Amino acid sequence: MKRNAWIGLGRLWLGLAYAFMFLPLVVLILFSLQANRFPGFPLQGWTLQWYARLFDDGTLIAALGHTMIVSPAAASVATIIAFLAGYALNRFTFPGKTALLGLVTLPIIIPPLILGVGFLGLLARIHLSGTLLAVFLTHVVLITAPALAIIQLRLSQMPKALEEAAWDLGASEWQAVRRVVLPFALPGILGAWLLAFTFSFDEFIIAWFVSGFDQTLPVAIYSVLVAAIDPSLNAIGTIVFAMSCAVLIALEVLLIPYLIRKPDA
Amino acid sequence: MKTPNDSPIKLLFLAPLVIWIGVMFLAPLLFLLWVGFWHIEAYRAVPGFSLTNYAEIFSSFFTGSRYGWALLQSLWVAGTTAILATAFAYATALALAFAVPPRLQRAALLFAIVPFWSSYVLRLYAWQTILSGNGVINSLLKQAGLSWKFEVIYTQIATRIGLVHYLAPILIVILYVSVLSIDRVLIEAARELGCTRWQVFTRLIFPLSRFGLLTAGSFAVIVSLGDALSGNLLGGGAGQSILGKLPTYASMIMSDYSSATNLPRTSALATILIVVMVAALVAGVALATAARRKVSQ
Repeated sequence: MKRNAWIGLGRLWLGLAYAFMFLPLVVLILFSLQANRFPGFPLQGWTLQWYARLFDDGTLIAALGHTMIVSPAAASVATIIAFLAGYALNRFTFPGKTALLGLVTLPIIIPPLILGVGFLGLLARIHLSGTLLAVFLTHVVLITAPALAIIQLRLSQMPKALEEAAWDLGASEWQAVRRVVLPFALPGILGAWLLAFTFSFDEFIIAWFVSGFDQTLPVAIYSVLVAAIDPSLNAIGTIVFAMSCAVLIALEVLLIPYLIRKPDA
Repeated sequence: MKTPNDSPIKLLFLAPLVIWIGVMFLAPLLFLLWVGFWHIEAYRAVPGFSLTNYAEIFSSFFTGSRYGWALLQSLWVAGTTAILATAFAYATALALAFAVPPRLQRAALLFAIVPFWSSYVLRLYAWQTILSGNGVINSLLKQAGLSWKFEVIYTQIATRIGLVHYLAPILIVILYVSVLSIDRVLIEAARELGCTRWQVFTRLIFPLSRFGLLTAGSFAVIVSLGDALSGNLLGGGAGQSILGKLPTYASMIMSDYSSATNLPRTSALATILIVVMVAALVAGVALATAARRKVSQ
């Protein structure tokens, strides 16, 4: 049975790969609920003390608060920019279109480390560095590219005749965009927002360079982390992971059925 | 009468994107290139055009501040990480595509990329607690009565583990899509004509996924070169590798800035990184196009 040997090997590998991928998450969740001061064995019993300490201390929760202001705002602005541009790129041809598309993907390829140094220099000149506004401004440009990619994917599935029919029936261009294109693109818009939000939520290095005392969550976690091992980090990690899972489920339910559907005839 | 390609909407809808990219992306990037030529006078950055920073960096490139060694360390770590991560992701993508029943594949793929949705800094922290001297693995070994210790924390091996874990979900998606696009009819035909499974892999699947592999590999190199977090948290700043106890270049940029706040020099260092990456990217694209041409022939 040679056939089963290969398939068995593949499944064995897959099991090992999943174990590797999930090991940190399991450790994070397990030791957020264990009394051990330093994560390790033997386990010392279940407790919620790290969660209590996390909320008592408040630093990381405050940072989570900052992130929950910056990331939704940045994701919303990025998604609006991406929808407008995605519509225009889908419908119009113009000189320099390829160049523009290339330019838009550059923020993905240029490492955030380099952008962080650049942003810092420019923002310091206009006295904006060290604020949450600075983080917001820089995150928008970073997350517009992935948002645009998803919205373009969705809009490319829209039959051209749909909009033309709206015009023929007397809709103005604006009405067609609002009543026909926007509803069609909605799943793409939601998916783009969620992806943009996730990227902004997790972004570290740019926020490290441009944020001051109002740290975002990854920066605050890093500050705690370089100082000492603190099991409260397990607690905040578990909370953040639970939030991400909610986003992931939302993404799966709302988005993927639309995006992998064949183009409407 | 409206024509599809001519409308005031065209300019209006593109303007926000173009303005934002111009002001918040191109401007900082060009500014970065320019600041690299400024110099410091009485603790203030003074605009101008001097080669002071570059002269300073290159005069002690392999001595003193050892930026050159850090760059070599980065290239070594990034290169090996890219190979490891691509191999791991490719094996996983192949297992997903060929060892999982089709109706379960989407769920299996989604499951594999779950870690991508958790915070990178926190994942590194978790790896720190797993790998550290008295951490999860070593305390388990001790419980099992073994005196042997698994010591990789604060070496570049740990840096690579963190990076591979970060890169794997993204690479798995890229490689799964690339494996999936291989025509199954070709595989069946090869089997019918008497190829063993191993021959199907070496003569058909592997050559046809070369383009995806090079894309994934280049992406991994770029991300690893630009990442400072894994090197700082798992590599301990200056982690041991076969090149010696050296920080990666990205770690060095970060610590150089936080210790000296010399923005012109940091900008010059970042510019050097851009040049190295563009070179790496050009090499990657050239290889990928060559691979594609070979396949299409």
